[in-house]
Amino acid sequence: MDTPAPVKRARVRRWLPYWAVFQADLRQTTRSWVYLVWVLVSVLGAAGYLLYRVGIYHEAGMVQSASQLISDLLRWSVVGSITLIIALAGGCISSERGTMADSVLSRGISRYQYFLAKWHARMVAVLSTFLAMGVVALAGSFMFLHGDLSLTGSLVALATIVTLLAAVTTCGVTVSAIANSTMLGITVLWVLLYGAGFALTLLPAQYPSPDRVLNNLPTTLRGFYDLHALGRLAGWSALASGLIAMVGLGYFARRDI
Amino acid sequence: MAENPSDLVVETYKLTKIYQNRQIALNDVTLRIEPGCVLGLLGPNGAGKTTFLRLVLGLHRPTAGWVKVFGKKMTPNAADVRRRIGYIPTNPQFPRGMSPIGYLDYMARLFGLPADVRKPRLASLIRAVDLLAVSGDPIAGFSNGMTARLAVATSLINEPELLIWDEPTHGLDPEARRSMLELIKTLGREKTLVVSSHNLGDIDEVCNHAAVLSRGQLIYCGSLQDLKGRMRRNHYELELEGDQKAIGKAAQAIKGFSEFKSVNVRQRRLELRMSDEAANTSALANVFMTLSDNKVTVVSIRSVGQQTEQAFLDLVEKEESRGFARAYQSGEAA
Repeated sequence: MDTPAPVKRARVRRWLPYWAVFQADLRQTTRSWVYLVWVLVSVLGAAGYLLYRVGIYHEAGMVQSASQLISDLLRWSVVGSITLIIALAGGCISSERGTMADSVLSRGISRYQYFLAKWHARMVAVLSTFLAMGVVALAGSFMFLHGDLSLTGSLVALATIVTLLAAVTTCGVTVSAIANSTMLGITVLWVLLYGAGFALTLLPAQYPSPDRVLNNLPTTLRGFYDLHALGRLAGWSALASGLIAMVGLGYFARRDI
Repeated sequence: MAENPSDLVVETYKLTKIYQNRQIALNDVTLRIEPGCVLGLLGPNGAGKTTFLRLVLGLHRPTAGWVKVFGKKMTPNAADVRRRIGYIPTNPQFPRGMSPIGYLDYMARLFGLPADVRKPRLASLIRAVDLLAVSGDPIAGFSNGMTARLAVATSLINEPELLIWDEPTHGLDPEARRSMLELIKTLGREKTLVVSSHNLGDIDEVCNHAAVLSRGQLIYCGSLQDLKGRMRRNHYELELEGDQKAIGKAAQAIKGFSEFKSVNVRQRRLELRMSDEAANTSALANVFMTLSDNKVTVVSIRSVGQQTEQAFLDLVEKEESRGFARAYQSGEAA
């Protein structure tokens, strides 16, 4: 048998596969109908709420403080967004299982890089969109509302919510890497997150919970916050995100595709 | 012949895959693929061909045993090894909104190829597979032949040393199929190929080695010539022209020859079976003499046992007829 001559291999950039999947996923996410519905519903919901408050002011002369208004907006957009964020993150890997994932994972990319690229792309899509919407809402309220808002407090409030959303997105990507079907993944994730949210409200008051953080948003926006407690919450969220991602990464690196 | 195991392109040892403790897809497969080999992977539906290929690619993890590719153990994270492999799945799927240029660029980036390497290469490949005119169009509107050509270009973008093509001629029209087979022949001169196919004629034409899987077990692995030769040797079929009575008379005379185990005439076809050990040249010379004496002309002669398809079917049939004996003599099978 003729032995082929050894092939001179081209140089490779080790993290290029990661960037390729990251960019492709970011593009795919921002064009998906779930994402567009999320942005549209959030913007329309916020606009509708503001009109409602303006209507109340004109009809009844009731003035609501900027901190309360923005707090309500953020709180409801977070609560309303969770389901769509779950759908957005919960299908990112499981929906591509089969021949589509084959055509990517049979190339020169490791499972670690693939998972990290998917995770980071969904995080960037969700968090940057939320931050953009939040910053627009805050900027608007600074310009148009009678302000009791503090700039640092507003930034701290946004950062706190972003930390919580990061944990939710991480859970979504991890469940998506573990579950065999997208519907199953989304259902499990939904039950898990709402169950965990409820369980955390049962903890003693000194422990930070997402519910308490959202309830304290008006005071945080006015600039009265316990940076130590919020730091602890952010730390716990980051730790939980890291651990959950490690579980997803470890499992996905060993599973059949 | 590769003397050093690290020189082997693919080596599997007792490779077994059981899905969720429910289905045994692959059972105890040990084989070695040397550089330059063009291996045809044969087997009926559900034999484990795709599972085998997916294990070699690291898309699946073995339940037991191991796979080494280029001397390194294949795992889901063995990206370095996969950079040396080009793969075409059975029914390649593409992102429908992407164009061939965008898709090939994405695939090349998945192999870590920098822009100055991947851009010229993808341009050459698009030209080579004749997709230049549609290189900016969405893949969604492509025909089967066009997607097959794009799949070929994708599998070659990293200039792989090993090509794994799962059913490459599946769903192609005769012209596209012919082009694909010619391409495999050309690539086979400088690369190692593993080609899985249901079409035994294709394997016969382009491969020099064959591996036969049946119900997850490797029942044959060796040269294609051996596969063809070891089954039903000395089994011929002659198509004749002449008077039917003369053909019958000639057949009666041939039946008297001791070399033949059976002689059957069906209209103008004469089927001859000799024992494996019989010297076929002298026996066939006698046959031709007898036919000539009876003024019968030979239109064609076919060696039935030398056909890959027959050899393959015989192997599978033989394996299935072994029944429980497989449990005790599994070592002999391969």
